[in-house]
Amino acid sequence: MTKIRMTLNGAPVVREVEDRTSLADFLREECGLTATHLGCEHGACGACSVDVDGLLTRACLKFAVQCDGRTVTTLEGLNQDRVTEALRDAFHRAHALQCGFCTPGMLVTARDLLLRNPQPSEAEIRDALAGNICRCTGYAGIVHAIALAADELIRHPRSL
Amino acid sequence: MLEAGPELDAFRQSPYPALANGKVRYVGQAIAACVAPTRAQAEDLAEQVGVDCSELPAVVDAVQAMAPDSARLFDTWPDNAFIIRTIGAGDQEAMKQAPVRLRRQFRMNRQATVSLETRGCVAYWDQRLDELLVYLSTQGGHVMRLGLAQALGLPENQIRVIAPDVGGGFGGKNRLLPEEIAVCAIALKRNHPVRWIEDRREHLLASVHCRDHHYDLTISAERDGTIIGIEGDVHIDAGAYALWPTGSFMEASMAAGNLPGPYRVRGLNVNTWTVATNKAPMGPYRGVARPGACFAIERLVDELALHLGMEPYDLRKLNLVSRAEMPYTTVSGMKLDTGDYHDALDTAARMIDRPAIRKQQRERRPGELRIGVGFAIYTEQSGHGVVEWSKRKSRVVPGYEAANVRMLPDGSVNVHVGTQNHGQGHETSFAQIAAHELGIDPALVKIRYGDTATTPFGFGTFASRSIVFAGGAVATTSRKLAQKIKAIGAHLLQADPSSVEIRDGHVVAGSASVPFRDIARAANIRQELLPVGMEPTLEASGTYEPGDSAGVFSYGTHAVVVSVDEDSGVVKILDYAVAEDCGTMINPMIVDGQVQGGIAQGIGTGLFEEIPFNADGQPLATTFADYIMPCATEVPTVRIAHSVTPALVTEYGVKGVGEGGAIAPPAALANAVADAFRDCKASFNETPLTPRRVWEAAQRARREAGALT
Repeated sequence: MTKIRMTLNGAPVVREVEDRTSLADFLREECGLTATHLGCEHGACGACSVDVDGLLTRACLKFAVQCDGRTVTTLEGLNQDRVTEALRDAFHRAHALQCGFCTPGMLVTARDLLLRNPQPSEAEIRDALAGNICRCTGYAGIVHAIALAADELIRHPRSL
Repeated sequence: MLEAGPELDAFRQSPYPALANGKVRYVGQAIAACVAPTRAQAEDLAEQVGVDCSELPAVVDAVQAMAPDSARLFDTWPDNAFIIRTIGAGDQEAMKQAPVRLRRQFRMNRQATVSLETRGCVAYWDQRLDELLVYLSTQGGHVMRLGLAQALGLPENQIRVIAPDVGGGFGGKNRLLPEEIAVCAIALKRNHPVRWIEDRREHLLASVHCRDHHYDLTISAERDGTIIGIEGDVHIDAGAYALWPTGSFMEASMAAGNLPGPYRVRGLNVNTWTVATNKAPMGPYRGVARPGACFAIERLVDELALHLGMEPYDLRKLNLVSRAEMPYTTVSGMKLDTGDYHDALDTAARMIDRPAIRKQQRERRPGELRIGVGFAIYTEQSGHGVVEWSKRKSRVVPGYEAANVRMLPDGSVNVHVGTQNHGQGHETSFAQIAAHELGIDPALVKIRYGDTATTPFGFGTFASRSIVFAGGAVATTSRKLAQKIKAIGAHLLQADPSSVEIRDGHVVAGSASVPFRDIARAANIRQELLPVGMEPTLEASGTYEPGDSAGVFSYGTHAVVVSVDEDSGVVKILDYAVAEDCGTMINPMIVDGQVQGGIAQGIGTGLFEEIPFNADGQPLATTFADYIMPCATEVPTVRIAHSVTPALVTEYGVKGVGEGGAIAPPAALANAVADAFRDCKASFNETPLTPRRVWEAAQRARREAGALT
């Protein structure tokens, strides 16, 4: 077991973990943060996407011990985040989810895109989503929702 | 062990133990279960399990499996067929004498269903309630309880199945699988919860597999293109076991029965083999059998058109069942109820702008990508109940759904249903229906499902059935409740019950009105305000089945434009349009979502998804690195046009829409790729159309046409 310290969703966390525990399992099993979903556990589906030190990260491909001293933000930590708020609202309006299993990863990935590129084209949105699998929607609603959210954030930068 | 498959003597039994016993019949079959405090520790244990197995010859091809000298999966069977059936109907002589006879072979390869949330099960014995509590990712908890009770030898009222949120199913979570029985059986012996969550590798190896059809068909026609009939053989590779309850029996009968598609076909003579092989058992997957049947008939139509030098569009127009002929009973006995198939084809052709594509093709310069346009028409049976499922000898006959509608003292409403939402938006559609019948805001209605302890018995969500059956049950039951609300309202208003009406959450009599919350309060907690002799509470229960349980048919035309790179074989979708009709739409946004989502899966079948096996029966795609999923960069936003021809026998005229999107894309895509190579008459008759298959088919055709040496 190894003792790790991290800032998790804005609060300090100190835990003992097995070296082999993935960040995703640590979040879900040790911290009860179940928004981080596991769809493949080999880095292909994107459902476990989280933010580590400002970088979009697959929680299934990182060990918890690698996050010692880092700042980790899961979807639960983005409740007050204005970009995420706009995305949630747009996902609702554009029917961007059906079963909802991919949604947390989609939201975290879309937020990362909009922080880097506030006015993405459709091709840029699709490119940014290329590592996130949705089995239900056929992506149309998700792509539309991200464009709607971008538009909303540009038009009302302070209203959220 | 559970008996599975249809209740037919001719269907051979394939007892499927929860853990392999004596013989292991496919790679991925569970042999032992390891229990430990954490998954990692359980996997440590599993690593230490050694299995002493002697190798037997593998059976990996459904056609070769029927050869007399093939190895056998089950020693007691005379061959490898679960069942062999011939579907013959109509004018046999005309087919034999036909002036045009064209034979083609088609293959739709094996896939997994790939819900993004894999299967999973948590079970424990609740000491206080003296029952087994099972959290199960399933499409139908009530039916699964039935199977679990039989497998475990428990009375049904000692099992409670809860499926709170289900992360996709697509058919794959509509069968009881051995791991689920094993987890429950272990939970009976332990005094703590037992959990198993399938990982993706396990899903691709051993969860429900699907498709895997082989067709060898001859289409017969007049010289003008009028189709006469379809003859030939269909082999379904059903894997090693039949899954409870119905196995994969319907796959063959539906594949053969749907071969006439939307066309006037006079004769049908199809031999079907449902074959056991050393692969994971086959189960249902969105579209069940029809993607294969649609692929076969729609490719045959295009091949016939090419052979006769006709435009595929014209050949379709010549043979499509017309509106005036409805209801039209196909040669296989399906009653196409309502619709305008010609209009759907014309609309899709207009949307895709066929003349513009033809012009682009004529003007293509050497070195540019080839362009092709393809069409495919599908029909989608839904709302089929007792008549259809008893004809299929189904072990469980999903001929109805039930609803329970309750108005609480404050006027808010709970609706309990026996179907299982897993992405279809039942909370929205059913709330709309209840609100419509009760005359209230949908926000006041809460839809509840997914718990056998609280919901009425129901069969779950599959076969595009929920809007017809459960939507119908919510409608009729809410209507019943509305009558009682009106009676109480009339009493409170001192009005004649026949003179009152419901408007915006009030019972209204002329200028006087009383809000529902006063009525609900009287009914539930102030019975002295009720009419004399009236039963208290506001609660109605009921079941629903459509007026005709043979089913109603949604339909549509898919039109797709692709580019093909001759050098690499890579196919890209440039445009995708759909003209569809699913009867009355309760929620058009949800309908669009089902169409678009279904098409994404159909694109997966058509271009990407495949689990190949080597000669030893080793599956060669067990991660998303080998099993290619369609992503946002491959699936375009589909343009969708709706027509609304209401069904005659369902509430509001609704028809199901869940599966249709997934049926036509493989056929439309293959037709589009073939259209791009019309000059050298290349055939693209196997899915998925991987770059290698496309490149090889094009090379072969060009070599035969003398374009290559």
